[in-house]
Amino acid sequence: MDGQALRPTASWENGTLAPVDRLRAERADSPTPGLVEGTEPGAGQKSAMFVHAQSFEDLTAEAEEEARRDDELDKSGECAEELKVLVGEKTIEEQRNNSISSESRSKEEDVSSEAWRSHRKHVFVLSEAGKPIYTRYGTEEALSSTMGVMMALVSFVEAEKNIIRSIHADGCKVVFLTKSPLVLVGVSRTCQSDKELLRELQYIYYQIVSLLTLTQLNHIFQHKQNYDLRRLLAGSEYLTDNLLHRLDRDPGLLLSAVTCLPLASSARDVVSSSLQAAKAKNLVFSILLAGDRLVTLVRKKDQFLHHIDLHLVFNLVGSSSSFREGEGWTPICLPKFNTAGFFHAHISYLEPASELCLILVSTDREDFFNMSDCKQRFLERLSKRSAYQALKEALKCPTYSVAQVGIPELRHFLYKSKSSGLYTSPEFPEVYHSDEEQERLMGLYQDLHSCLHHPTRPLRSFYRCSETENLLAWVTSGFELYLCFSPLGTKALAVSAVNKLLKWIRKEEDRLFILSPLTY
Amino acid sequence: MASGMQEKQYTPSLLSFFIYNPTFGPREGEEEKKILFYHPSEVEKNEKIRNVGLCEAIVQFTRTFCPTKPAKSLHTQKNRQFFFEPEDNFWIVMVPWFETQCIEKPNKDGKPPTIEYQEEEILDTVYGAVVRQCYSMYKLFNGTFGRAMEAGGVELLTQKLEKFFYRYLQTLHLQSCDLLDVFGGISFFPLDKMTYLKIQSFVNKVEESLSLIKYTAFLYNDQLIWSGLEQDDMRILYKYLTTSLFPRHSEPELAGRDSPLRPEVAGNLLHYGRFLTGPTNLKDPEAKFRFPKIFVSTGDGYEELHLIVYKAMSAAACFMISASVELTREFCEQLDGLVGPQLTLLASDICEQFTINRRISGPEKEPQFKFIYFNHMNLAEKSTIHMRKTASVCLTSVHPDLMKILGDINCDFARVDEDEEIIVKAMTDYWVVGKKSDQRELYVILNQKNANLIEVNEEVKRLCATQFNNIFFLD
Repeated sequence: MDGQALRPTASWENGTLAPVDRLRAERADSPTPGLVEGTEPGAGQKSAMFVHAQSFEDLTAEAEEEARRDDELDKSGECAEELKVLVGEKTIEEQRNNSISSESRSKEEDVSSEAWRSHRKHVFVLSEAGKPIYTRYGTEEALSSTMGVMMALVSFVEAEKNIIRSIHADGCKVVFLTKSPLVLVGVSRTCQSDKELLRELQYIYYQIVSLLTLTQLNHIFQHKQNYDLRRLLAGSEYLTDNLLHRLDRDPGLLLSAVTCLPLASSARDVVSSSLQAAKAKNLVFSILLAGDRLVTLVRKKDQFLHHIDLHLVFNLVGSSSSFREGEGWTPICLPKFNTAGFFHAHISYLEPASELCLILVSTDREDFFNMSDCKQRFLERLSKRSAYQALKEALKCPTYSVAQVGIPELRHFLYKSKSSGLYTSPEFPEVYHSDEEQERLMGLYQDLHSCLHHPTRPLRSFYRCSETENLLAWVTSGFELYLCFSPLGTKALAVSAVNKLLKWIRKEEDRLFILSPLTY
Repeated sequence: MASGMQEKQYTPSLLSFFIYNPTFGPREGEEEKKILFYHPSEVEKNEKIRNVGLCEAIVQFTRTFCPTKPAKSLHTQKNRQFFFEPEDNFWIVMVPWFETQCIEKPNKDGKPPTIEYQEEEILDTVYGAVVRQCYSMYKLFNGTFGRAMEAGGVELLTQKLEKFFYRYLQTLHLQSCDLLDVFGGISFFPLDKMTYLKIQSFVNKVEESLSLIKYTAFLYNDQLIWSGLEQDDMRILYKYLTTSLFPRHSEPELAGRDSPLRPEVAGNLLHYGRFLTGPTNLKDPEAKFRFPKIFVSTGDGYEELHLIVYKAMSAAACFMISASVELTREFCEQLDGLVGPQLTLLASDICEQFTINRRISGPEKEPQFKFIYFNHMNLAEKSTIHMRKTASVCLTSVHPDLMKILGDINCDFARVDEDEEIIVKAMTDYWVVGKKSDQRELYVILNQKNANLIEVNEEVKRLCATQFNNIFFLD
């Protein structure tokens, strides 16, 4: 490291320590020579597979972004034109009920009880007329007056040409998100920042849009302000329940990234090219999943899948067992792609007991048989190759132990390659095996994440030493890294661990990331 | 007119400040009765009622989820409101507003400029503490709200509130509030044992000779040396002395000997002592012997006291005497005659000792770090970030964003009860280190852009060894 003499000694005498200007946009360069932007471990070689948030910030600038994207689609997208035709669709409800078995929820709870109040995180969705649409705990009926108050607060502040954001009490905060025609409210006893909670509410908003499209939502409430949206969403609440569960547990939703099934690149390339060959006129995305892990994704040229859309697809597939029973065909709106129309997804497992799930996304609602045919072609092609066997082998160990990295005291880590939108992370070690402990660790990561990505005071690195663990987080222009050490780990160890870990990821990147994404 | 010539509108840093009690006007049409104080007073009646109504609604709504912990703040796009319920059903609400909270982005084509709001500019902990401080200061000079209610009902209370806050709010400098306001600590004057004993014996002698004196506090250079008050009372009295009373009286000492600003010294060459509260000139036959009254806590309630602040050069002594006693010219002359010469002597003793100590420790090299230290047990604070505290501004030598990062780390510490250490590197490459150990907190800003985590750690270790050699911090 730097010698004593090299240390620049800027003086304090000049009055202030104020920086010349804020370097908000610039992040430190990579620690290891050769690791610069775009070439961080895990970065795709050709082009990104899907659109992803370059930074956490763009979730807030969303409205404009959406409008812009809509504009672009209006102008050029042939696909968008087709989608618009579909907006009038009336049969979603029946179709959804066919494809997804609605699991009954036991939500009966006394909403005035201490038990109800002390839930870690409440989420409420209501219409601008104050009608309940969703509650995570208890029943909507029992909470209609509470939600009425929420709406009254929102409108009252709005009348002053202002927007309500949050209410803070000791150990409890209430966060409001207005996404006309919906209002979302989160009540949390966790330490999460307002911004983290808002991000979660955004996800819930998109989950609802993905079922109905924004166009339809607007249409409904323009015609009948008082409409009870639960009639349309009946039977789909479990999707929101599940998404909320994921938000507490899945680092991908926090990092705005997805993780891959570790697989030799030779095998992955064969799977990808087989999928690429099984194309059809209206096929936009082909996604192969192993549980919650991406095996490969092939997309139409110039069409990108946003990580939020991808997580919504993951949530849809992961929440329902009915797709195991055969080939599913369901309309889905991918709101970050286009809030106005539906895609149609062909969802099926490659083999009855397999974890491998294939999702073929088409623009045509009559495309079921074409998609089914694509799947057959893909399967035929793949089963002839030895790569299929390698893939099945890889399923047996979908994750890896942190011990493989060979850093003592390192318990767990998250590494995100910014340019590819992919992340990697080992399995939870023994100390974090219980659900509570895993959620606690996720909470710590969320903390680090919100400190580093603070809206006005972002940080380059963050090190926290506490009685239970030592944590280090580091953001550069190319990657984000979060490390969790045992409390015995020293700072010197943490510094050397970063370099060692980055080298290890570089060595393993073929296996851990998708380096050469394909298009049709 | 050129757009550049447009007059810029300056807004004061306090948008509004009001006190209400929802039980005072429970019926519809009587809402105005709830409002006990409202700043700015020229706000239209209905708007006052509306704003109080919103606060009531927020507080009520929050009870749905946490019945025991009241709402403390409301964040909106444009501002933040801070709530505090110091006594049952009495709510104080403060809404600060700074220019830095919104940025005007000029638009082309003659469209009005877009306004962008900086929603994270304000730290909740800082302004939450400021509201509590406002109440403590009111209570120091007036006793509780309940006391005024008992004595003269709502009418007396509103009078008292009006009288106190009308002036006090003008002295608030919200923009320069920071982590130190969260701590509300006391800066102690470092002293050798001998000098400390001299001061203690001085206090004892004075209390013995003037048996009316109940409590004494001794300060030098705006720093506390000795106090007979409870910690919380001393904390708010200290705040009053150092940010309001002392700065108002600092000029005469700087003024020349013949300046009309120091008549009392001109007439008395035996010592430099003078009253900062009470009579300005004892020789004046018209002099009034009225002192401000303060309320301090006793075991089961509070007692009312006269506050006499007497100063000689940089040394100040506060003597507190039961308010039931009437203070006379004779008493004041006796005090002046006894304390004046001794305090003058002590002040020069301390000053001499201070310069010797300084010389021993050698010429101070500009350090590579700045720090803030606070001890929750004895409220001791020390800051090398703040250059000086005056009534008007609290000058810091670091960028406001760095100060806010310190505030963020402090919030982090407040959430868990364990010892912790946090080291962050800001976008400007400054390193900020926070350590919490037992009841102590230390924050260091390092200006070593190319240092790494290990070097920063070494640097902070060195600092702890030289400045706080007897305090253990988690490594």
